Amino acid sequence: MSDLSLPRVQHIVASGVVALVGVWVTYLSFTQHPSEAYVFPRLIATVFVVLAVWTFIKACLGWTKVGNGLSGAHFIRLLPGLFITMIYVFWMAKGLGFYTATTIAFFILLTLYDPAPHGAVLSWVKRVIITAVFLAVMYGLFALLLKVYTPREIFF
Amino acid sequence: MRNVIAGAALALMGMTGAALADGHANYPDRPVMMVVSYGAGGATDFQARIVTMTAGNEDALGMPIAILNKPGAGGRVGWNWFATQAEPDGYTLSAYNVPHFIAQSIKGGVEYSTDSFEPIANWGADPAVFVVAADSPMNSMTDVVDFAKANPGKLTFSGAGLFVGHHIAALQLEKAAGVKMAYIPTKGGGAAAMKAVIAGDVMGGVNNLSDAFRAREAGSVKILGVFDLERNAFMEDVPTLMEQGFDVDNASVNFRGVMVPKGTPQGIIDKLAATVPTMFENKRVAGKMKAGGSPMHIMNREEVQAMWAKREETLKELLAGL
Amino acid sequence: MEFLFYFGDVFTPFNFGLLLLGTVFGLIFGATPGLSPTMTVALAIPFTFKLEPAAGLILLGALYTSTVAGGAVSAILLRIPGAPANIATTLDGNAMAAKGEGAKALQLSFLASLVGGLLGVFLLIAVTEPLSRWALAFGPSELFWIAILGVTIIGSLDGGSLVKGLLSGCIGMWLATIGFDDMLGAQRFVFHPSLGGGINIIAALIGLFAIPQVITMFAGGRVDAAAEVIKVQKHRISDAIRELMRRKRAAGIGTIVGSIIGLIPGVGGQIAGLVAYDQAKKLSPERDKFGTGHSEGVIAAESANNAMVGPSLVPLLTLSIPGSPTAAVLLGGLLIHGIFPGPDLFVNHANVAWTFINSMLVGQILMCVIGLYISGVAAKIAQVPKHVMAAVVLALAVFGSYSVQTSMGDVYVMLSLGVMMYFLERFGFSAAPLVLGLILGPIAEENFAQGAMIANATDGLGPYFLTGGMNLVLIALVIASIAYSAWMELRSRRYISKEEIIQ
Repeated sequence: MSDLSLPRVQHIVASGVVALVGVWVTYLSFTQHPSEAYVFPRLIATVFVVLAVWTFIKACLGWTKVGNGLSGAHFIRLLPGLFITMIYVFWMAKGLGFYTATTIAFFILLTLYDPAPHGAVLSWVKRVIITAVFLAVMYGLFALLLKVYTPREIFF
Repeated sequence: MRNVIAGAALALMGMTGAALADGHANYPDRPVMMVVSYGAGGATDFQARIVTMTAGNEDALGMPIAILNKPGAGGRVGWNWFATQAEPDGYTLSAYNVPHFIAQSIKGGVEYSTDSFEPIANWGADPAVFVVAADSPMNSMTDVVDFAKANPGKLTFSGAGLFVGHHIAALQLEKAAGVKMAYIPTKGGGAAAMKAVIAGDVMGGVNNLSDAFRAREAGSVKILGVFDLERNAFMEDVPTLMEQGFDVDNASVNFRGVMVPKGTPQGIIDKLAATVPTMFENKRVAGKMKAGGSPMHIMNREEVQAMWAKREETLKELLAGL
Repeated sequence: MEFLFYFGDVFTPFNFGLLLLGTVFGLIFGATPGLSPTMTVALAIPFTFKLEPAAGLILLGALYTSTVAGGAVSAILLRIPGAPANIATTLDGNAMAAKGEGAKALQLSFLASLVGGLLGVFLLIAVTEPLSRWALAFGPSELFWIAILGVTIIGSLDGGSLVKGLLSGCIGMWLATIGFDDMLGAQRFVFHPSLGGGINIIAALIGLFAIPQVITMFAGGRVDAAAEVIKVQKHRISDAIRELMRRKRAAGIGTIVGSIIGLIPGVGGQIAGLVAYDQAKKLSPERDKFGTGHSEGVIAAESANNAMVGPSLVPLLTLSIPGSPTAAVLLGGLLIHGIFPGPDLFVNHANVAWTFINSMLVGQILMCVIGLYISGVAAKIAQVPKHVMAAVVLALAVFGSYSVQTSMGDVYVMLSLGVMMYFLERFGFSAAPLVLGLILGPIAEENFAQGAMIANATDGLGPYFLTGGMNLVLIALVIASIAYSAWMELRSRRYISKEEIIQ
C-alpha cells in the first residue's frame, strides 16, 4: 500500500494543484468587492474547496481509483506537438494571419507526427498536398462561404 | 521570391498612402462589421439587421455590413470590447443604445464613456411602457402607484436589467410618484422580462414599446402608460405618464444608432455621417421596420451628439442618489 | 388536421428547392465547429428579406432542423460538439466512431433525430395550447430547481468517481462566473482581457472536447498508421432501422424528455440531450455500457435534441415569447414580414404558419434521407491517419472558436481550457460534468438571484422556493436523483474494492 508509484505521486500533485486553485478561488470570493456580486461564487467555492481537499487527501492516502496518470514516454511525445500548438494559437494566428499561421503549423505538425520516415521524399510531397487541400477547404468554408473576417497579416 | 514580396509590400504601402492622401475616398473597400451588444433575435439585433440591409447598395456604402453579436451583462461586454479592442479603422462599427451605455458609464465598472465613441447616426427610438398581465386588476398607472403606496416595496415589476432604459424608467417612476417598488432585473433581455409579466412571476413590468405592442396584439398584456413626452403612433390610446400626473420625461427612451470608436479617421467619420442617415431613409428599410412594429427616428451626427450630451446630464442627476 | 391542407405549398418547385437548399446547407453548417443553430439561422435572415413570408420561413425552418442534426456529425466523427445540444451525442457517438462504427452511429443519430423531430413537431401541432401553459409554469424558483436537478445528473455522466464528477461540475460552475455578473454588472475573476466577456460556451465546448483528443493523438507519437488503422465497418440502413426498433426505450425516453424539457424557456434546448441521456442510462439494463460506444446513448441524445425543436417554438407561436435564442431569431424572420405571432397566428396567417410547420416535417425527412446517404462516406473520416486528424481538428477548433464572435480571446480561452482538460482527464476528471456546470451555473445563479429579489419583496425566501406544487415535485426529483447516485456509488464501491483485491 505504501509504495509511491509514479501515478500515485502524479495524482497527489494533480489533486494538490486543483485543491490550491480551490483555496485561491475561495479566498478571492470572500475578499473581493462588491460582496453582493460574490454570493453565488462563495457558495460554489465552498463546495469546490471541500471536494478538492477531499480528493487531495484521498490521493495522498492512495485511494484514487480512476485516472491512469501520464507516463514519461507519452509526455515526451506530446511535448513538441503541444509546444507548436501553443505558439500557433497564442502568437502565430494573430501575428501572421490565420491562413498563413495555419499553413505553417499544420505542415509542421504533420511532419512531426507522420509515421513515414522523414527521409522518404514521397511523404514530403504527400504532406504538402494534404496541407494545400485542407487549407483550400478551410478558405472556401470560412472565408468564402461564411465570410468570417479572420486576422490577416501576410498574403490572405 | 523575396523581391516579389517586397514589391507587393511597397505597392500595398503606396495604396495606403494614396488612401490617406485623398481622404479615404475608396473607403470602404471590404465588408464592414457592426457589433451589436445584445443577443441574436433581440430588438436591437433585429432592427440593426434591417437598417443595414441596404448597405451594399451603390448609393449607400457599396459594401455589406455584417452583424456581430457580443451579448452579455446588459451590453457591457460588447461595448467594453468595442471601446478597448476594436480597431478604429472604420471597418468596425457598433450599435449604441442610449441611455444604456451612458448610464452604465456613469455607474462605473466599465471601460467606456461617451468620450470613447463617435456617433454616426440614430435610426430608432423605442419608448419604455408599463405593462401588466391581461388579467391584472390594475388598469392605470394610478392603480399601480396606489398599490405601491399601500404596500411599500412589495410591488414586483420586471425589466431588462440594471442601468438600461427600463431601469431608468423604473427609477423615474419611483421618484415621480414618491413610492418604493421592487424592480426585478432579468437576464434574458426584454423577452424574459415580458415572459415574467405574462406568466405572473411579477405583478408588472417595464418593457419596450415594440415588444409590448406585439404582446398586446397577442392578448397577453395591458399597456398602462408610455414613458415619453407624447403618445406613440403605434398605440394612440395609451396615455403618457405625464398625462396621468407623474413627472416623467423621455430620459428612458431607448435610442438606437451607429457609432465608431474614438480615433477613427475624420475622413471616414464624415463619409459615414453623410451616407448612413440616407441609408436609414431607404423606403424598403422603413417598410420593414414598420411591419416589425419598430418606431423609427432618424437623427444625424450633430443631433446625436447633442442628444448624448443632454442624456448624460439628466442621467447624472437621476443616478446621483444611488 | 388543418396542416394537411397546406402541404401543397411546401411542394411547389421553388419552395421545395429552398427546403432542399436549407437542409443541405444546414447539415454543412451544423457540422462546422463554432456555428451554432442560432448563428446559422441569424446568418440566413438577410436572405429572407427578399423572399415571400412563407418561403422565407421554409428556409429558416429547414436550417433550424438540419443544423441541430448536423451538429451530431462533428460530435460523432471529430468529437467537437457543434452546440450544447450535441454534448450527449459526443459521449457515446465518438466512442462508436473510434471503434469503427461511425457509419452505424451516424445512421442511428439521423434516424433518431427523425423520430424525435417528427414527434416534436406533431406535439407542436396537436397540443399547442396546453403546452404553452406548461412553458409559462416555470418561474425563477422552478428554473432554479431545474438547474439543481441538472447538477445531480453529473454523477451518472461520469463513469468514474462521483466526487471527481462533482468536483468537475464545480470547476465548470466557477468558470461560468468569470466575466461580468449579469445582474449587478460587476466584473468577477477577470485575470486577462480575454476573459472580459466571460467564457463563451461554444468556444469552451470546442476546447474541452476537441483539444484533449488532439493532445492524446500527439501523445500516441509517430505510430505506424498501417498497424492500427481503424476498420470502418459498413452498416446497412435496414440494420440501423432494426437497431432503432430494438432500442425503443431509448428513443421513447429521448423523445419524451426532449419535448418536455425543450419547452422550458431559456433552459431546455441546452440540457435536453444530457437529461435524456441520463434518464436512458438509468433505466437501461445495459447501463454499464454507456460511455463506451453504446447505441442507446446516441439514440437517446439525438432523439431528444431534435424532439426539442418543435416544442421550443410553442411559446413563440402562441404567446409571442421566444423561448430560446433560435426562436428569437425566427421571431425576427416573422416580424420583417409584418407577421406577429400570437394566438391568432393560425387564423390570420394560416398559410404562412402551416407552411412553416409542414416544412419542418418535410425538412426532417429530407434531413434524414440526406444524412443516411452521406453516413457511409462520412464515417470514412475515422480512417484518416492520426497525425492528419490531430492537425485538422486543431485547425478546425481554432477557426471554429474564432468565428463564434470573431474574437481572438475566445481562441485563447478555447486552447487554455482544452490543455487544462487534457491533464485533468489523465487524473480521472471528465469534460461532460464540467460543461454541464458551465451551462447550469449561470441558470442557477440568475434564477436564484431573481427569485430572491421577488421573494424578499413578497412572501420571503422559504415559502417562495420551497412551496408550490411544481417546486415540491422538482425538489422530490432532486432528492431521488441524489439518492440514486449515492446508492450506485455505494454499490460500485463494493464492486471496485473486490477488483482491487484481485490486483
